[in-house]
Amino acid sequence: MRSLHARFKDEIGDGFVLGLVRVVVGALLGWHALAAAKELGSIGYFGDVFHVSMLPDALVPSARLYAVLLALRVCLAVMVMFGVWARPGLAVSALLGLWMLLCDRLQFHHNRYSLDCYALLLALTPCDRSWRVTESAVPEPRTGPFWAVRLCQLQVSIVYLASGGSKLLDPDWRSGVVLADRIVRHAHLAVAAGVPRSVVDALARADASSALAKLAIMSERVICVGLWLRPTRVVVLWWGLWFHVTIQLTTNVETFTVLTLAMYGAFATPDFHARKLRYDPSRFWGKTAGVLVPVLDWLGRFEVKAWEPDDQPGHSLVVVRRDGERVTGIRAFAMITRCIPLLFPLWAPVALIASFTRQGDLSSAS
Amino acid sequence: MFFAVAWLGVQAALVLTADRRIDAAFGFRMFAESSSIRMSLYREVLGEDGQRSRVHVDDGVWSANDAGGLKRRFAWSDRVRRYELARFDTEMSAKYGANATLVRLQAALDDVATHTPDDADTRRFLLDVTVRRNGREPYVVHLTSAERAPGGS
Repeated sequence: MRSLHARFKDEIGDGFVLGLVRVVVGALLGWHALAAAKELGSIGYFGDVFHVSMLPDALVPSARLYAVLLALRVCLAVMVMFGVWARPGLAVSALLGLWMLLCDRLQFHHNRYSLDCYALLLALTPCDRSWRVTESAVPEPRTGPFWAVRLCQLQVSIVYLASGGSKLLDPDWRSGVVLADRIVRHAHLAVAAGVPRSVVDALARADASSALAKLAIMSERVICVGLWLRPTRVVVLWWGLWFHVTIQLTTNVETFTVLTLAMYGAFATPDFHARKLRYDPSRFWGKTAGVLVPVLDWLGRFEVKAWEPDDQPGHSLVVVRRDGERVTGIRAFAMITRCIPLLFPLWAPVALIASFTRQGDLSSAS
Repeated sequence: MFFAVAWLGVQAALVLTADRRIDAAFGFRMFAESSSIRMSLYREVLGEDGQRSRVHVDDGVWSANDAGGLKRRFAWSDRVRRYELARFDTEMSAKYGANATLVRLQAALDDVATHTPDDADTRRFLLDVTVRRNGREPYVVHLTSAERAPGGS
């Protein structure tokens, strides 16, 4: 227990991976501020009409102050995205967002509250050391205290635990009654998003929705725990990604999917360029990887370098994993899909195919 | 370290007490319910015979006399602007659950009753809310505002 406490308190990590998380959270803070500003223009100031405040009237801002605060929230979101005073920007944005939620309960949404919680915790991490438009006058180390990153990770698990736990304790949810009705009532959204009507109808059947409900509850419980276990983390992240994409396609959850997927970045191991990618610039696939991987490697997973072409038959690219093992072909591609966020949805099937090659590729020690 | 313990303590408390809040706010209960509501607004007015009668309010807009006998136009949306609380005679989602929506509608009803002082005709506002919870058979809940004084609230 004491060592756990010491590790939590004293851990130092590379903050590069947090830069992307900060940019996405900043964008979402800006999106919500702009949505509130649009609402101010269309339906007016909430305090002038029926609203449900959790605070005394004296603490609810006037119409003019509210407009100024919205403008401030937009400015802060831009600062967060660009990495200019990003951490103070995150903290102030989060506190303003929480204040607004307390001022009008009618505007409360779980995803907005989650965003403010994550933004506040992210403000305490070294998330401002990468993905910024300007470098600070005094060079800063990219590493920093990581205890708040662990809190961000705990917060992700708390959300899954609370959501999955409440569903597990609810007989209507467990039996699939809630899900079946949701599917029926949101069928038009799913069909509009490209899901075939026959699939939607099949999922709305009692037995299918009962199975889906159990799968959803199990997914949330497994993700909550599996994110913390190194051997299961990448599988759980991949499953979670498709879990949230499915929810996004079938129901309206505002920005919750993007937020949760961004927070998955906090679970990436903080080791900048710990893997090496060597490519043959004279071959098509080598050249393609040499161009695309540095552009798409948003989490700084690979150190990418060309090797000197020779006339010997060989490979287009070689990935040197964290453990020093060299992989090529489909196994190298599996490593790339594992580390490049845009390709991550492909990781499991590619890794499964790669696992049938010599030595396999489903180990998570890489 | 103190911050971390305090943060986790507050989160745990908010999650565990979510049931005590009608909308389970701060409890991360995503998609807890799949309920829908359909609401119809009525005004209770005095007829010429002195008897009270219910008058359906179409689209949340009505006309009534003020204290001076002048006909005036009133709208529910003058006070209640949020879409999910201001759409009548149409089935729509009760996003944070049927109970939370009913509590909000009761508060909205009282708010409208107390913020339309120029309506001298209406004695009470009433909402008939047809609730369908988790796809089950619908039932109707009758909400009533506080009694308004004759000649306006």
